Amino acid sequence: MLIETDILVIGAGPAGSSAAKHAALNGSEVILIDKKSEIGAPKRCAEGVSKEGLKKLKIEPSSRWVTKELSGVLMKAPNGTSVWLNEEKVKLPEAGYILERKVFDKHMAMDAARAGAKIMVKTLATGLERKDDSLIVTAETMGEEFKIKAKIVIGADGPESRVGRWAGLKTTIKPKNMESCAQFEMAGVKMDDPDSIEFHFGSVAPGGYAWLFPKGDDIANVGLGILTTETDKSAYQHLLEFVENCPATQNAQPVELNIGGDPVGGMLKELVTDNFMIVGDAASQVNPLTGGGIISAMEAGLYAGQVAAQAIRDDDCSKAKLKKYQERCEENIGKKFKRDLKVKEYLLSLSDEELNSIAEAFQDIELENINTAELIKNLIKVSPKALLKLGKLF
Amino acid sequence: MIVNEWCMYCGECAAVCPRSLIEVRENSLIFNEGCKECRICLKVCPVQALEKEEDSELS
Repeated sequence: MLIETDILVIGAGPAGSSAAKHAALNGSEVILIDKKSEIGAPKRCAEGVSKEGLKKLKIEPSSRWVTKELSGVLMKAPNGTSVWLNEEKVKLPEAGYILERKVFDKHMAMDAARAGAKIMVKTLATGLERKDDSLIVTAETMGEEFKIKAKIVIGADGPESRVGRWAGLKTTIKPKNMESCAQFEMAGVKMDDPDSIEFHFGSVAPGGYAWLFPKGDDIANVGLGILTTETDKSAYQHLLEFVENCPATQNAQPVELNIGGDPVGGMLKELVTDNFMIVGDAASQVNPLTGGGIISAMEAGLYAGQVAAQAIRDDDCSKAKLKKYQERCEENIGKKFKRDLKVKEYLLSLSDEELNSIAEAFQDIELENINTAELIKNLIKVSPKALLKLGKLF
Repeated sequence: MIVNEWCMYCGECAAVCPRSLIEVRENSLIFNEGCKECRICLKVCPVQALEKEEDSELS
């Protein structure tokens, strides 16, 4: 069996569904396939998104998939000293919502379907070949093999992207750029402030951080990401230790375990080739500092969908034509990632003692007056060594 | 490669395999021929579900 279409999107996460939706809205014939039997499950994610991000994408928050609205961020140093930022004190770019990803992802796929995309679940792409001016993808569904011929293929198949490799892009992630993550969704969590997300820094999560993301009532995603180049224990072992020692989880019980890799090395350099584009985690479109990637994936999906549909209309699916997508990603997503990558390197260079002294200095600071000069003045007071490290990075 | 029963098919091993030999399906992992024993996949697994055959023979 051979199915023909303008655009084939592989993977129905936020990136793929967004790409499919915008390609369809712009007049292309679109097929969206996903290997799983249930789009969005199991989640591999802490489920946080920024309000601004959703607004920019013109996605109305829905009570079906928003579990919690957040108003603050609480950051904890290894000795427990906390720095608390909330919306009354400072404008928080990351203030936002905690989602129910299983529901959210399905709704984003439904939006793609309503825009005109055809969806196939439990359908796995197993190969890709180039033929004339199109790509032919071999796929399997319920034991049946078939082929899809597309003028453009959009790879949205997650960090393990095989589709990108088939198309000739370098998508392999180095272990030093891959946060290995483990998370429990728990009930019985007692957070310092149930309206704030909590980050724990230092040796609880070597090369990353631990998080508590509240989902309403006493429910929270409690997880961490580590770099396996920085520790001999697995992410799961670190998680067990964290949950045992964290005051908030002393009476908490897990109802779900989530694991997975988060590519935090910054966006891939090559996002397109002839008849092919790559989006989302597959393209490392993840904020290297926070590890958050839902909004950037969907934003990239929007650009990919629009550029792909234009290429179909102009009957030119060459790399040069699709490069417009890469340029828009670099301008609107990549630039910020490059800055955040430096901040991450700085944070990871700090010892537990340095993190403690920084947190102690900042715990009572008046944040309305926060600016670079003020930050540096405080940093000199607490830790000249930490400041020196900062200087080296910029 | 031995894939232990507690593998959750998250695909982190496949993402870091320098030779792209690992295929992740919904409920299975497939290791294609050509492994050069770099062991990166074993190291990154968040739940230590992977094992080399010879390691299990030794123990």
